Amino acid sequence: MRRCNLSEYAIRVKSVSKNFKIHHEKRDSVFESMTGFFQKQKHSEILQALDNISFDVKNGEIFGIIGPNGGGKSTLLRIISKIYSPDSGSVDVQGKIIPILALGLGFHPEFTAITNIYQSSILLGFKKETIDTRIKEIIKFAELEKFADTKVKNFSSGMLMRLAFATSVFVDPDILIFDEVLAVGDENFQKKCAKTILSFKERGKAIVFVSHNMGLVREYADRVMFLNKGKAQTIGSPDDVIAAYGDFCRERDKISNVSNE
Amino acid sequence: MTSIREEMWTNRAILFNFAISDLKVRYRNSILGVLWSIIEPLLMLSVLYFVFSTMFKFDIPNFPIYLLLGIIIYNCFKNGTSFALNSLTNRSALITQIYFPRSIPAISSAITASIMLAIEVGILLIFMIAFQFVPPITILLLPLVLGLQFMFVVGVCLPLSVLNVKFKDTEFIWNVVVHAGFFLTPIFYQFDMLPEFVQNILQFSPMVQILTMAHHVVLYGLLPPINSILYAVGSISVLTIIGYLIFRKYQAQMVEEM
Repeated sequence: MRRCNLSEYAIRVKSVSKNFKIHHEKRDSVFESMTGFFQKQKHSEILQALDNISFDVKNGEIFGIIGPNGGGKSTLLRIISKIYSPDSGSVDVQGKIIPILALGLGFHPEFTAITNIYQSSILLGFKKETIDTRIKEIIKFAELEKFADTKVKNFSSGMLMRLAFATSVFVDPDILIFDEVLAVGDENFQKKCAKTILSFKERGKAIVFVSHNMGLVREYADRVMFLNKGKAQTIGSPDDVIAAYGDFCRERDKISNVSNE
Repeated sequence: MTSIREEMWTNRAILFNFAISDLKVRYRNSILGVLWSIIEPLLMLSVLYFVFSTMFKFDIPNFPIYLLLGIIIYNCFKNGTSFALNSLTNRSALITQIYFPRSIPAISSAITASIMLAIEVGILLIFMIAFQFVPPITILLLPLVLGLQFMFVVGVCLPLSVLNVKFKDTEFIWNVVVHAGFFLTPIFYQFDMLPEFVQNILQFSPMVQILTMAHHVVLYGLLPPINSILYAVGSISVLTIIGYLIFRKYQAQMVEEM
């Protein structure tokens, strides 16, 4: 019984904190580190990117993250995807995860679309045989039939995004993560994405996404978190959290207006 | 160490994917393709042979085979480590966007270099036929020596890959080490030609130990002395573990520096 309850959660983030050292004058050579050893001057300061963040994402749930730039959204997604490790706290992820954090899935510019689909999916832990059977569908979904053998360095940002999205949904992960990249596609493709994401949700998969498009968040997210300066301000229903974020933005604008006068 | 081995085994598909794509990228843009990897050691061989058999008149039996053996073994070390240096920095897009074990690029660099070595051993065999040299039965032990070398190369590749992200001049320092190592390893001379105090220092070099063992089994038909085998295996294991520990210390923060 207990086991069932545990696996209900796709992602469980427990009091995660993360600091970054911001270097004023970055020492990135052995020589500089040796000479710098004798200088007492402080050359870096600590930026707290995430401060004691806890939340759960259930299977079959779409979880949105909103907040101003520099709020820690991307850092959080990178920690969930295991790219960064947290300084303290823990992240428990049940199942295979695919993060789309930038344009592409870590695509190599010198490789063709097909080679990149294989490389990225194998790296994410999927079998070559599985991809063999789905490669045609991926290319078709991405609308890149004519460019399957083109090096991706010649791709536009829309093409890269379509290729990344198509790859990520067809290799069928348990959890999908998007960092504000779906906005690149045209309207037609965005509709296709939305349809696919909803079908993911119906099959009990978890989706976490970051967006500045409040319309999208209101329409698709089941729960939303508002992240500011590394702290989770509110977690709750889309309407409540978006309202809280709206208040924050108005407050901030007021302050900047006053200081301008 | 078991954790590395497990990691390599569960991720063998990724490892070979990297090693093969490394080889492809390396040779795709050259007309001669894979032939380049053969021509380079042969060119080196002819230059060294010319210099040391005509100008310095070294009298080493089966000198061409002696030379080629040294060149290909040292080349494997040189290639593996130089691929590893940039194995992470070249893949910064991948590493900042997808999680996979960070040891894989370094280990696959060692595999790429070993595949190239396997081709070169084939050429060594052709040379033996051409010079009518009948290798002793102990040559069957060469794979064991090369296995030990693979372990050593992995042990150096792992820390180099992360250190080169953190310290951008690792690459230049390492190039000097590799260059010096070429002259401090008995590739074109015999170890006992050196003054004794130099021998006493250089015997600690893993490449000297490996190449000496290779000379024994391929050319002299002798088993290396048991205490030198034990010493080599022991010291190389320790170095590999140290390399792995350095790698582990820097691997997590390395991504943030990219």
